[in-house]
Amino acid sequence: MKRDNSSTFLIAAALCAASLCIILVSVASGPRLLNPFILDSETCRTLLAIRLPRTAVALLMGGALGASGAILQGIFRNPLADPYILGISSGASLAASFGLMFGISLFTLSVPILAFIGAIATGAAVVILGHGWKGLQPERLLLAGVGIGFFLSAVLMLVMTISVDDGLKRAILWMSGDLSMVDWELLPAGLLLILGGLGLALTRRRGLNALTLGDDIAHSLGFNPIRERLFLFIAASLMTAASVSMGGVVGFIGLVVPHVVRRHVGSDAVVVLPLSVVAGGTLLCVADAIGRTVAAPLELPAGVIAALIGSPYFIYLLGQRKTH
Amino acid sequence: MRCNVTGLMLCLLFLIGWSETALCGAAPPPKRIISLAPAMTEIIFSLGLGERVVGVTTVCDRPDEARSKTKIGGMANPSLEAIVALKPDIVVMTSDGNPKAISERLRKLGIRTHVFKSRRLPEIPAGIREMGQTLGAQPPADVLAGNIEKAIRDVSSSLRGKSSRTNNGGGRKALFVIWPSPLIVAGPGTILDDAMKMSGLRNIAADGKVAYPRFSVEAVIERQPDLILIGKGHDDMKTLAKGFLKSINMLDAVKKGRICFMDDALYRPGPRIPVGMAELDRCGKMP
Repeated sequence: MKRDNSSTFLIAAALCAASLCIILVSVASGPRLLNPFILDSETCRTLLAIRLPRTAVALLMGGALGASGAILQGIFRNPLADPYILGISSGASLAASFGLMFGISLFTLSVPILAFIGAIATGAAVVILGHGWKGLQPERLLLAGVGIGFFLSAVLMLVMTISVDDGLKRAILWMSGDLSMVDWELLPAGLLLILGGLGLALTRRRGLNALTLGDDIAHSLGFNPIRERLFLFIAASLMTAASVSMGGVVGFIGLVVPHVVRRHVGSDAVVVLPLSVVAGGTLLCVADAIGRTVAAPLELPAGVIAALIGSPYFIYLLGQRKTH
Repeated sequence: MRCNVTGLMLCLLFLIGWSETALCGAAPPPKRIISLAPAMTEIIFSLGLGERVVGVTTVCDRPDEARSKTKIGGMANPSLEAIVALKPDIVVMTSDGNPKAISERLRKLGIRTHVFKSRRLPEIPAGIREMGQTLGAQPPADVLAGNIEKAIRDVSSSLRGKSSRTNNGGGRKALFVIWPSPLIVAGPGTILDDAMKMSGLRNIAADGKVAYPRFSVEAVIERQPDLILIGKGHDDMKTLAKGFLKSINMLDAVKKGRICFMDDALYRPGPRIPVGMAELDRCGKMP
């Protein structure tokens, strides 16, 4: 799908402007609607200590997942690839749930750190197992990811079955992407890792474009497919691990957001990657705002809301594509 | 009030971790209390502090007055914003049901918390006394703790006479069903297990490894409990338990009708413990 530069630029600008408005409305909405023009000390407090860190984490997480999804779908040439198909989420969930259910919370950050270690360890295991005699082949890497993912999920289910205890509910919430307890603490590390991953991916954007055309074509264009794939995989793992450790497992965004973005602006990685960040971040931010507002004071997990509002749009887009 | 320099300074102070500086020294008794667990709500009301409660969870259903209080969300995921908006002097929570992360987060927000740490039956009176001290209600807390201690003494003393008569030294074998399908029962380290022991019952799931194990029906049949206790759930437990009871209908407990449907008094470490102990005692003495 080729589009001229000016229309892509217009769509991108419109998306960014819409995102900015949506984010501002999201920040204001919650159990109590905040009026940004009348800032008393209580509003300041709610805004600075609760709303803003939640919004920032939602933006970062959603953005990281959107970009990882775009990268992985490209390097695997598979529209079903998402940050979680490689078992990364299962690894993070298992490690974090151990922390939550067996009370391994020596200090505040132990659960996020456990999740990060779980995610990175799983990513490394997938690369080692997915490395055949011909190097990193997409099919082999995918199958290794799916296999490890299933194994880790089974272990997680086992742990959950034998422990019907207090940590369980928190663990379930964590697995459905719960942002209700996030604060500023996690942001600097998360931001650094995600920017690192995104930066690495953007430097490899030409490689990503080449890989989507097939290994042979990439090779003839002067890229080493194996090396490009490894670097891009590291970038995606880094972003996914950082996202999972900040607010738990949020599905859907990594799978669907890149498709929606590509549908509007074409498939050039230079445009798709940044716009997936914007769209993914905005979607999770809105989802979190809805989750804390509609049933207040009950908190509905942001991951669940994101899938509930995003899926119908995605299905609508699929229908549109058929008629064209 | 418009956001002025003082307001901004306050926000900044808040951000850089101002939290417990104001709590040094003897704090005055809190006037605005939020409870994050049904048992805590019951204790606070029975200490006569119901008027001071400004917020409870969506599952705090006792006493009736608690239902009309402002809700701040669930036990595992209360809304921080809803808590902050109620401007509490103290948030009372339990280590058995409220995640630790909540108390840490509240402390960082500069909100005082009291965590009730008693998880076993004999520890409850001390926990209630400690809570009474924090909430400035020492005398009623002493009375409530005394009532629970008396209830424990009463069943223990009635047991002393009984155990000498039984030759296996332990009395009837019993199973406390929390949920019939899938079968979840009261295991070791729980108030229910403690109460059963004190009433002279032997919990056949006492070796269950976790507090509320998923138990196998075969193990129930093999261990032949003399008495089946079924706790109260949200739905009609009599209907729910039909299938389970049918699958173990070869046991004496079912044949002789020693099935006891109980209230939820022993589920909560609070003022209804004496009622629960008496109920358990009655069930234990079923013919």
